[in-house]
Amino acid sequence: MRGFHKPVPATVWALAALLLAGAVVLPFVASPFHLRLAQQILLFGGLAVAWNLLGGFTTYWSFGHAAFFGLGAFAAGLLGQQLGAEFSVAARLIIGLAFAVAISLVAAVAVALPVLRLRGIYFAIAMLAFAQILGEVSKTFDLFQGAMGFPLPLLKFPGLEKVQLFYFLFLLFCLVSVAVFVLVKRSRLGVGLTCIGQDEDTAAMLGVPTERYKLVAFVLSAMLTAAGGVLYVYGLGFMTSETVFRIDISLNLILFSMVGGIGTVAGPLIGATIMILLTQVVLGDLLDLHMMLTGAVLIAMVILAPKGLLGLFRRAWSRRRLAETVEATP
Amino acid sequence: MTKISRRTALGLFGASVVGSTALRFAPARAQDGGVIRFGGSLGMSGRYAETGLNIRHGYETAIKYLNEEMGGVEIGGKAYRFELGIVDDASDPARATTLIQRQVDEGVDFFLGSYGSNVVLPCAGITEAAGKIMVQVGASADQIFTQGYDYIFGLFPRASRAWVTSIELFKTIEPKPKSVSIIATNGAFSKLNAEAAAAGCKEIGIEVLDVLELPEQVTDASSALATIRSRTPDILITTTVDQNSLVIVRQMIATETNVPLLYQFLGPQLPAYRESLGAKATGVIMQLPWDASLDFSDPVFGDTESYISYYNETNKRPLSYHTVGASACITTYVEAMRAAGSIDPAAVRDALDAIDITTAFGPVKFTEDGDGDPILMGAKIGQVQDGKIKVIFPTDFKTGELVYPTPTWAQKG
Amino acid sequence: MDGTLFFQTLVDGLILGGIFSLSAVGFSLIFGVLGIVNLAHGIFVLLGAYLGLALKQTMGIDPLAAIPIVCAALFVLGALLQLTLVAGAVRRSSLMSSLLITFGASLILRDAVILVFGPDVQFLSSAWLVDTFHIGDVIVDGARATGLIASLLLLGLLSLALYHLKVGRAMRATAQQDFAAGLCGIDARRIYAVTFGISAAFAGASGIIIGLINPFSPFDDTYWTLNAFVTVVLGGVGSPVGALLGGLLLGEISTFSSQYVGSLYSNVFIFSALLLMLIVRPNGLLGNAYKGSV
Repeated sequence: MRGFHKPVPATVWALAALLLAGAVVLPFVASPFHLRLAQQILLFGGLAVAWNLLGGFTTYWSFGHAAFFGLGAFAAGLLGQQLGAEFSVAARLIIGLAFAVAISLVAAVAVALPVLRLRGIYFAIAMLAFAQILGEVSKTFDLFQGAMGFPLPLLKFPGLEKVQLFYFLFLLFCLVSVAVFVLVKRSRLGVGLTCIGQDEDTAAMLGVPTERYKLVAFVLSAMLTAAGGVLYVYGLGFMTSETVFRIDISLNLILFSMVGGIGTVAGPLIGATIMILLTQVVLGDLLDLHMMLTGAVLIAMVILAPKGLLGLFRRAWSRRRLAETVEATP
Repeated sequence: MTKISRRTALGLFGASVVGSTALRFAPARAQDGGVIRFGGSLGMSGRYAETGLNIRHGYETAIKYLNEEMGGVEIGGKAYRFELGIVDDASDPARATTLIQRQVDEGVDFFLGSYGSNVVLPCAGITEAAGKIMVQVGASADQIFTQGYDYIFGLFPRASRAWVTSIELFKTIEPKPKSVSIIATNGAFSKLNAEAAAAGCKEIGIEVLDVLELPEQVTDASSALATIRSRTPDILITTTVDQNSLVIVRQMIATETNVPLLYQFLGPQLPAYRESLGAKATGVIMQLPWDASLDFSDPVFGDTESYISYYNETNKRPLSYHTVGASACITTYVEAMRAAGSIDPAAVRDALDAIDITTAFGPVKFTEDGDGDPILMGAKIGQVQDGKIKVIFPTDFKTGELVYPTPTWAQKG
Repeated sequence: MDGTLFFQTLVDGLILGGIFSLSAVGFSLIFGVLGIVNLAHGIFVLLGAYLGLALKQTMGIDPLAAIPIVCAALFVLGALLQLTLVAGAVRRSSLMSSLLITFGASLILRDAVILVFGPDVQFLSSAWLVDTFHIGDVIVDGARATGLIASLLLLGLLSLALYHLKVGRAMRATAQQDFAAGLCGIDARRIYAVTFGISAAFAGASGIIIGLINPFSPFDDTYWTLNAFVTVVLGGVGSPVGALLGGLLLGEISTFSSQYVGSLYSNVFIFSALLLMLIVRPNGLLGNAYKGSV
C-alpha cells in the first residue's frame, strides 16, 4: 500500500523539525500570555486534526464533538474526585486520561453503530443531538455535578510554571493527534476513507470495508477528543457543564479545519492559529463588534478561499509553476 | 471603474489581518507613572450580556467621575488618574483566561470580575497566582470563596448566605406562612440559591412542598405551574434570572396561577419587568441588593443621591443594582488604596481585608474569605406597590409595609 | 392518572407545538429545497420580533398587524443573503460551506441587533390577544392560543401557496430534482432565492408570535435554530405539514415529559427523541427524502 504515497520530501521533514524545535524552546522565552495563546492553538488545533480523522476524509461531519470533549472531562474529573488525595495529582490525571479514553471508546462505538448509518447532514444533526443529550444529562443529574461545577486539583511539576507545564501537555496532545492523523492518512485505512469520501456505495462495492473503516476513524477521533477535554479542564482548574459542552467548541473544530483546509494535517493547525489570533489578539480588546468582525472574516474566507488557506497556497503555487513553464518554453 | 479582482481583495484582506495582528501582538506595558489601570473581563456577548452592560456602565461612570470631576486621586502623596481596560470574555473560560493573562503580563494589578463561576474561578486562579487583586460584583458561588484565595473579593455575600434576610422576613409575616415551593433553573446560580432558600425555610419550620427545576432557558413553565396550582404553597420563590422570571410570571398570570405571595429573586428590580406587567406586578417581592431610596454616604461621590444624579446626567441607560455595585467596586478600591497609602497589591489587599466603609451601594465590609458580610451587605427585601418598589425589610430601612396575602391576578386588574 | 392534568398537558403541548411548527417551517423549506442547514435561522426569528418591536415603538403598529410588513422585510433580507453570499459559496466550494456562511451571517446580524436594540430582554404586547379561557377545568393561556391560531393560519397559507401557486410547484419540483426541474424551464437560482426569502419571512412572523408569548433577547437565536433542527427531523423535511407534525410532537414531548417525569428532563427527552427518530426513521414521520439525506 505504500505505493499510494510519495515519500515525504526532505523539506517537509526539515520544516517539521524546525517547528518542533521552536515549539520546545518557546515556553522558556515567551510571556505567559503568548504561552496561553499557544496552548489554545495546540489544543484546539490538535482537536481539529482529530476531527479530521473522519470529517476530513469523508462527508461525515460531526457537529457534536463537544460530546466526547465533555465526556472525557467529566469522566476524568469525577474519577479523580473519587480517587481523592491518596493519589497524587499526576496519578489522578493519568488514570483519569486512561479512563476518559476508555469511556469515550465505549461511547463512540455505542453511538457509532446506529449513527454512522446516517449520511451527510443527518449524521451532523445526530451528533449535535448526542452532544446536547450528554450536556443536559451532566447538568440534570446531581451525580455528575455539572450544573454547580467542581474544582480539579492543581498539577505541579518541579521546575515548570503551570502555564509552561500545560503548554507541554497540550504540545504532546497535538503531536499525538498529528501522528495519528498522518499514520491513518498514509495507511490502507486512509485510502479507504478517501474512497468513502468520494463515493461510499462504489467503495463498498469495490470491497472497501466501509462500515469498519468509518467506525475506526470515528472511534480514534473520539478518543483523542476526550483526552483533549481532560487536559483542558485540568488546565482551567474548575469546570461546569458549560465549560465543556459548548456548541461553539464543536463548531470551531469545523471552522478551523475549513479555514485552513479540510483533510490535511497542516490545515486545521493553520486555521486554529489564524482564528485564535484573530478573535483573541486582533479583536480581543473590542468589547462589542468583535463577533460581527469574526463573522465578516468567516464569510470573506469562504468566498475568497473556498478550499481553505492551504488550497489557496496550492493554487498560487501551481499558477507560478505554470507561469515558469510557459516562460521556459520559447 | 476597475473591478477589484479576487487576488487583489485577498491581498488587501491578508495584509490588513497580518498588520493588525502584529500591532496587537506585543503586550504593552501600561502601568506607567500616575495612571492606575483596572483590568478584567465581562460577558458582553452571550446570555449574560445585559448584566455585563450594566456592570460596564458602573465601572465607566466611576472612572469618569474620578478623572473628570475629581481630577484624579492622591494616594500616598502622589496623584493618580484611572484607566479602564476590560475585555469581552463571551462567557468562554478559555477566552477569558487568555485575555486575563494578557493583562497580568501587561502589569495590571487590579482586576474587576466577570460573571458566572465557570469563568470567574479559572480567572481568579490566574490573578491569585500572580498576586493580583480581584474585586467583583458578578459571581457569588460559594466555591469562589472556599478555595482559600487571599486576593479575591466579592460585593455579594456567598450564595448560601444570600437568604439570611429573607428567612428573617418570613419569620415576621402574619399569618405565619406554612409552606413554600421553589422554582429554579438548571444552572449553578439558580440551583445554589434554591438550595439555600430551601434550607433556610426548613430551619424555621416552613414546609418546602416542591423544588421544581426548569431547563436553563425557560420557554414554557406550564407543567411546573400546573403542579403549583394543584398544590398551592403560601409563598412561591423563583430563583431564576430576569428573562426566565418574566416568562414564569407572565405564564402565571395567563394560567391564573395564584399564590398568596410571589417572591422573584431577580426580575422585578428591572423597570422593563414592571413595565411589561403593569398593575399585575403589584405585590411581587424581591431581593434588593441596592435601592435608590436608601441613602448612604460615599467617599467618592458624596452620597447615593448625588451618585444617582451624576449617573443619570452622564448615562442614558437606566440604573440597575449591578451598575451601582460596579461603581462601588471602584470606590472600594480607591478607598483601600488611600488607606494603604500605596498601590502595592499586597498593601491594598490588606486594606481591603480591613475595609469598613459605606458607598452609594451600601456598606462594604468583607468576611475573612472575601465575600460580602452577610448581615451588613445582605440584600434588603422589596415589594412592588403602585408600580414602585418599596423596601419592606429589614425594619430599619422600611419605606413600606408588606402586603400579605397579595390579591389574585384577576383582582389586580 | 388525573384526567384534568392529562388534558391540560395535552392542550399546553398542542399550543407550544403550533408555535414551534411555525418557527421551524422556514428552516425546513431551505433544508428541503436547497439542502442547506441555515444556521442564521434563529436570528431571522429574532429579527422578526425586533422589527415588530421597532414598528410598535416608532409607529405604534400592533405587532400582529405588523406581520405582513415584517414578512416583506425579511423576505428581502433572506433572498439577498442567498443571492449575494450563500449562492456564491455553494458554487465555489461545497454545500457544506453554506454552514460557515450562515454562521458568519448570524454573528453579524446578532451584533447588529445588539447595536440597535441593546442586549436587554424585550417583549411585545398586542391589543388583539384572546383572553385566557377555560374548557371544562382546562385553562387555555390566551396569548399562547392567539399564537397558535396565527401559526395555523400562516402554515395554511404557505401550504396553499406551495401546492397551488406556480412558484410553489416550482419550489417543490426543485426540491425533488433540481436538474430535471431546470430542464423543464425552472430557473433554479430564482427559486433558491425565493425559498430563502419565504423561509426568512416565516421565521420573522414566528418571531413576532414568540415575542408576544415570551420575552426575548439577542442571544436566543441558538435556541430557535436548535428547535428548528429538532422539529424538522421529527416531522420531515420540506413541507408545512411535516413542520406542523414535528412541532406538535415536540410540544407534546416537551410538556408530557416535564409534567410526568420532571421539567428538568424535557430537554433530555427532546434530544433523545431526535436521536431515536434519526436512527429509526431518518427522513422524519412523513418520510420524504430530500437532498439533505444524500
